[in-house]
Amino acid sequence: MNTASRAQVVLNYALLILFTFLAVYPIVGVFLASVYPPHSQPTSISPPSHFSFHNFVTAWTQGHFALYFRSSAIVAVSVVAGSTVLSILGGYALGTMRFRGSKVIFYTFILGLIIPTEATIVSLYYDIRALNLIDTWTALILVEVSGEVAFGVFWMRAAFMSAPRSLIEAARIDGASTWRLLWRIMVPFAWPAILTLMVLTFADSWNEFFLALVLTTSDQHLTAPAGLQVFSGKYTMNTPLVSAGAVIVAVPVIVVFVLLQRQFIRGVLTGAVKG
Amino acid sequence: MENIAVQLPVTEISAPKRAGKRAWRRAERLPGEPRRIAYVYLAIPFLIYAAFTIVPLVQSFDISFYNWDGITPGTWVGLANYKSFFADPVIRGSYLHTLVLIVFYSFIPTAIGLLLAALLSRMRIHGLTVFRTLLFLPAILTDVVLAVTWTWIYDPHGPLNTFLGSIGLGFLRRPWLGDFHFALPAVGVFGAWEEYGFCMIVFIAGVMKIPTSLYEAARVDGANAWHEFFAVTLPGLRYELTVVVVLTMIDALSTFDEVYVMTGGGPGTATTVPAFEVYNQAFLQGQVGSAAAIGITLMLVVFAVSYGITKILEPRGE
Amino acid sequence: MAGVGYQGVTKRFGDVTALSEFSLEIADGEFVVLVGPSGSGKTTALRLVAGLEALSSGNVLIGGRVINRVAPKDRDIAMVFQDYALYPQMTVQQNLAFALKMRKSPRAEIEQRVLQAAATLGITELLRRKPRALSGGQRQRVALGRALVREPQVFLMDEPLSNLDAKLRVQTRSEIKRLQEQIGTTTIYVTHDQVEAMTMGDRVVVMRDGVLAQVGSPRELYEQPADMFVAGFIGSPAMSFTAVSATSNGSGRVTLSRGDLRLEAGAARELPAEVIMGVRPEHARVWDDGTRLIGPISGRVEYVEMLGRENLVGVAVTDESRLVIDADADFGPRPGDTIAVGIQPGRIYLFDPNTQKALGRI
Repeated sequence: MNTASRAQVVLNYALLILFTFLAVYPIVGVFLASVYPPHSQPTSISPPSHFSFHNFVTAWTQGHFALYFRSSAIVAVSVVAGSTVLSILGGYALGTMRFRGSKVIFYTFILGLIIPTEATIVSLYYDIRALNLIDTWTALILVEVSGEVAFGVFWMRAAFMSAPRSLIEAARIDGASTWRLLWRIMVPFAWPAILTLMVLTFADSWNEFFLALVLTTSDQHLTAPAGLQVFSGKYTMNTPLVSAGAVIVAVPVIVVFVLLQRQFIRGVLTGAVKG
Repeated sequence: MENIAVQLPVTEISAPKRAGKRAWRRAERLPGEPRRIAYVYLAIPFLIYAAFTIVPLVQSFDISFYNWDGITPGTWVGLANYKSFFADPVIRGSYLHTLVLIVFYSFIPTAIGLLLAALLSRMRIHGLTVFRTLLFLPAILTDVVLAVTWTWIYDPHGPLNTFLGSIGLGFLRRPWLGDFHFALPAVGVFGAWEEYGFCMIVFIAGVMKIPTSLYEAARVDGANAWHEFFAVTLPGLRYELTVVVVLTMIDALSTFDEVYVMTGGGPGTATTVPAFEVYNQAFLQGQVGSAAAIGITLMLVVFAVSYGITKILEPRGE
Repeated sequence: MAGVGYQGVTKRFGDVTALSEFSLEIADGEFVVLVGPSGSGKTTALRLVAGLEALSSGNVLIGGRVINRVAPKDRDIAMVFQDYALYPQMTVQQNLAFALKMRKSPRAEIEQRVLQAAATLGITELLRRKPRALSGGQRQRVALGRALVREPQVFLMDEPLSNLDAKLRVQTRSEIKRLQEQIGTTTIYVTHDQVEAMTMGDRVVVMRDGVLAQVGSPRELYEQPADMFVAGFIGSPAMSFTAVSATSNGSGRVTLSRGDLRLEAGAARELPAEVIMGVRPEHARVWDDGTRLIGPISGRVEYVEMLGRENLVGVAVTDESRLVIDADADFGPRPGDTIAVGIQPGRIYLFDPNTQKALGRI
């Protein structure tokens, strides 16, 4: 399909490179700023004359990022594990079984794709408080799982429905129970979809700020984005330090993204039509 | 609602069209077919979902009819909280700001994406994976991280001002996020930056699916680049366009993190947005009922916008 | 080992009747082929025995036991699917062993049966591989192996050869037939290919629009088709049909005529004024005074198909119909030529134009 002239090709690549560069530039900037000597003030996106990793140490220890990181990790892993398993169970039932009320239940889950956190946050706060779960990981995990399950059930249902009917029939003739059929045959079959779901859920959970802001308060339980916000509020004048904190928060998502970018991009492109 | 559920790539979500609903009820049970066990599978997911999404939604709906400070008992005010949308300048302002943000978060990135995709439609792109990875980064990184980064960029002594000074535009320097007129556009520019990579990738992927033969036919018919764009590229990207516009608009409408981090809604109320007002009114101002109403309304607006866009851009009969 | 019975089985999907009052007795150890065009109900009939569809009315029996409500896994049947339905993430060995594992058979027995089935089908060296690393033919064998391992009372096969290329198909169908004769399990085999049906079946059931058109041995279906559909469906190349008028000449002779066509033959029974005559290409040839043939029929050559060992010549014998005849490979008329054609005595099949039922042969 190479119908563009040489000049056009050059121009196109130039534009593509320009826009890609611009997209990455600020991110590069914060990484560079984080390695500036402590208390210095970077005024442009450029490497410092002296590299220093001291900011990371400070942020991790005195900045409590060790705690924030831990909270985020615990919450994210729990949310991914919990919502993935529940989405598999729910999607399996909706995607392969016929039963009364399946349509209603499915549409109820679809509803969840449209309900933004802003609509429920107010009641959630008071409900969580009534359950004495303010400032706990449990609250965050439960609420996030609830939100992720709506999408997850929808996603897994689609994945299971794309399995050839003959596969399920063969397993039924062979005498597999629903449980065996799910875990021995359907889950391996739908593994790419499951992996994509896990990646998306991880990013959603790790990046979640609003819920953490409202439901957690102490350094012990704040997750990384909320912790970063508090930190940046405390050290507004210390750009390298704040940048170090930002980098700490950013790295896990970047790592997961780079390792699993195929799943990631596929998930965002095809599945993220929330509402 | 059904229209939205339908907007999904057929490859992954093809519903097996068995006999219609009425016929299903009359259809006999297959011997040994799993039936009631489905409820067992659905029990826990549904319960958690209902408990922490559906129930709070209903409760919010209820709260929105009250004037409540969160501590003392509330007083019933009916639809007063909803009527205040037109009366309360702050809430009205928050939606006006959202309109501005929609231009930045949605229109501009979409246009950029379309432009690049149209230009790149005539050639094969080497190293697309690398470009894709890099362009996607802003969309997947934590908003707070990016907001903190841009707070520094917009800092009076930050990279933007430094850059402007270095190219002789020093007179343009200002405290961007503290400026009554420029704070909102500054947030907007952030949003455009965050979204355009995603738009580009979606459109480039979409353009690659358009059969070359359509372009060739157009060329044979004497079309120039403009014609090609409107006759072949744009119609071919109809689905992607819908997805991109809907998603970016929802992002614009739901903006919270960056406003909270970069401006706190200010200066004054110059950059407040509905989602921020929900937080603000509920937890800082003691206006819980009002906050709930804003939240519910936001949800309805998001739904209406999604539905409307889908209807406009993808009429039935495709 | 058991026979299978259908008693007045009807299956409806909403407003569509896929199978209507279907009755059939299959003896223990028999290889029965259900054949017909798509929509004929053959697959539905198979799936009803498997338990993958539920009856609307009637009974299905295996080994004399009514199994309408019995779950598939309790029917002691094994099925080979058209797309093989191999479990993609398991090795061939695990695929073969799966059903036995589900039944909690002892490990040693599973291993023994798997190895035996693999040996029978010649796939022992494939046991460690996964389905995606196998060719179509190999996958087909694994699908067969899965059924073999079960040692069920009935084998059900749903067009198992249709995804193979032609050569492999011919090779495999004789293997399947041989295997079945060796093992002796009752088999119901569904196909749309009448050649498969004729070469493999002990008995063949021709189906159409959900109804049983005719059941019998391949020979019976070929020699004595019950109606025009079966006559036209069985046998390749297909029978040619011509509408003619029948006039009795007294003394048991009848004249068939239409336009320029005029045939005289002996008929044993009364015929209606209008009939449809059918002739298979293998029973029609170029007129030869020396051989005893019915005819001559004169017609214009429409086309010549050269098959290598023979030529098929399409001859227009009336305004609306043509006869396809079998001719020697070196007989090469050109389209437009006029030739004379003769038919083997006793090989003109007659059908009632209204009911399409067979009336006999002359």
